[in-house]
Amino acid sequence: MNERLTKVNFSNLDKVIFPKLKITKAQVIEYYIKVAPRLLEVVADRAIVLTRYPDGVDAQGFYAKDMPKGTPSWVRTKTFYSDSAERNVNYIIVNDLDTLIWLANLAAIEIHMPLSRVDAREKPDFVLFDIDPEPPAGFDDAIAVALLLKEKLDQLGLQPYIKTSGKKGFHIVIPIVREYTYGRTREFAHVIGQFLARESEIVVSEFSETKTPNKVFMDYTQNSHGKTMVVPYGLRATPDATASTPLDWKEVNKGLKPESLSLFSVVKREKDPWKGILENRQKLEVR
Amino acid sequence: MGKKLKTETVTKPEAKPKESPKTPVPKRAIWTGSLTIGLINVPVRLYPMIYDRGISFHFLHKTDGQPLKYERVCTKDGKLVPWDEVVKGYEVAKKQYIVFNKEELDAFKPESDRRIRIDKFIDYLSIDPIYFHTSYILMPDKSNDSYGLLLKALETKGKACIGRITLRTKEYPAIVHAYKDSLVLTTLRYPYDVADPQSLEELKELKEPAKAELALAVKIITDLSGEFDITEYRDNYREKVEALIQKKLKGERIVVEKPVVKEEAKELMSALRETLKQLEKK
Repeated sequence: MNERLTKVNFSNLDKVIFPKLKITKAQVIEYYIKVAPRLLEVVADRAIVLTRYPDGVDAQGFYAKDMPKGTPSWVRTKTFYSDSAERNVNYIIVNDLDTLIWLANLAAIEIHMPLSRVDAREKPDFVLFDIDPEPPAGFDDAIAVALLLKEKLDQLGLQPYIKTSGKKGFHIVIPIVREYTYGRTREFAHVIGQFLARESEIVVSEFSETKTPNKVFMDYTQNSHGKTMVVPYGLRATPDATASTPLDWKEVNKGLKPESLSLFSVVKREKDPWKGILENRQKLEVR
Repeated sequence: MGKKLKTETVTKPEAKPKESPKTPVPKRAIWTGSLTIGLINVPVRLYPMIYDRGISFHFLHKTDGQPLKYERVCTKDGKLVPWDEVVKGYEVAKKQYIVFNKEELDAFKPESDRRIRIDKFIDYLSIDPIYFHTSYILMPDKSNDSYGLLLKALETKGKACIGRITLRTKEYPAIVHAYKDSLVLTTLRYPYDVADPQSLEELKELKEPAKAELALAVKIITDLSGEFDITEYRDNYREKVEALIQKKLKGERIVVEKPVVKEEAKELMSALRETLKQLEKK
């Protein structure tokens, strides 16, 4: 191995990260290498937040905003004052393959990103509709709501994109021109949510209704400064090593199984339904 | 290792860029005869089809770089034995041989009557691939019409011919089937040349897996199921040695490194190369 393909020094490659499927850290790194071109396109220039699982996903993970000790000098970081931490935090920016590999090598299984980028943190470039079914409502209910939402947004002349959350719901986003504040996008998501709640028995749109059993909550509050969404193609710390997988709307049908979209299968998906998503920025002016 | 040998016999060919090995083009027929089905005769030539190409090295004398050769010496007195004093021996017990001379063995040689005798027509896929031995390309031997007719007929019926062929000193069952608009002959192994896995005792002690484990294993198989594409597989050892050959040709000093990358990191490296290539294109 004469040429050096990455700046990252791998460590503990055979450490098991997903015990149920005996998936090692090497496999996690390999996964992130393979999805990198698709993932980096969306995650670039964002101050990301990590959930690290150095002892595997069955053990307690920890949430990390701040760059860890020993962060190599080539990793891009940006310092912001964090309201929740009440201090300055050095956020990691993932703009290149090496940084992504480095994160995977840290067992940073989950990577979460804000909806806005570091150069305009108050102007998001996505509206997010977070569709979260509360048991016994399940994934099929989430599918029904997602399709209902899609129909509504179509009527408004908007082109939404969808990905599984990697857990039990969906993230539906509209890439937007960077003209609106979080207040505006939050209001937009809220109004649409209320609309759907009127039309569908199963949808609830108000924050007070969070965790209402057998309902699907459309969490408009995710459109806020400081909130994050798991990155497209990001792994989740689930037993099945599921990934938050961008889907073509044609794939969103009853019977779709989110647990089948995993570390193993996602790399085999040929098309990237989110390809060029940030070139399709839309305006929220509703006609 | 890593020491460069200077020899006068070595000429420096032009260094070629690294590329994947080309499919070989067979040059010379290794057998001529005819394929017979009852009274029908199709004169054919047999060309090699399977090439088991690795990288081959020659032994050289370390001190002067000269090639070495093998010679037959008598184990008793260490003296060189000329060919006309060589006979074949069959070892019946330790160091006890029955001696054969060439004439005796020639008499046993199966009659190579230069015929591929077809017994019947079968489904190609009905043969367990375990029995496939080596494939050859059958070429018409001034018999384009009958060759083309047989080819077309096999394609139409979706059948293959099974029969026998004698190559050198061995008779083989053989199958002839249509492949890429040609007839291909594949010799088959005899059942007694294939070991039965059940003859290994350990296999008889396999436990029935637990249901949950089986379900998980089946799920992994489902998740990883895909289309088979042989071009996804490459001989990495060969590629590395070839790269090294190119470097040596350019006179680069070769530093023999300890493999820092462990087995499991190899996959990472190949994934890395692939992704770097994709990112470069963007």
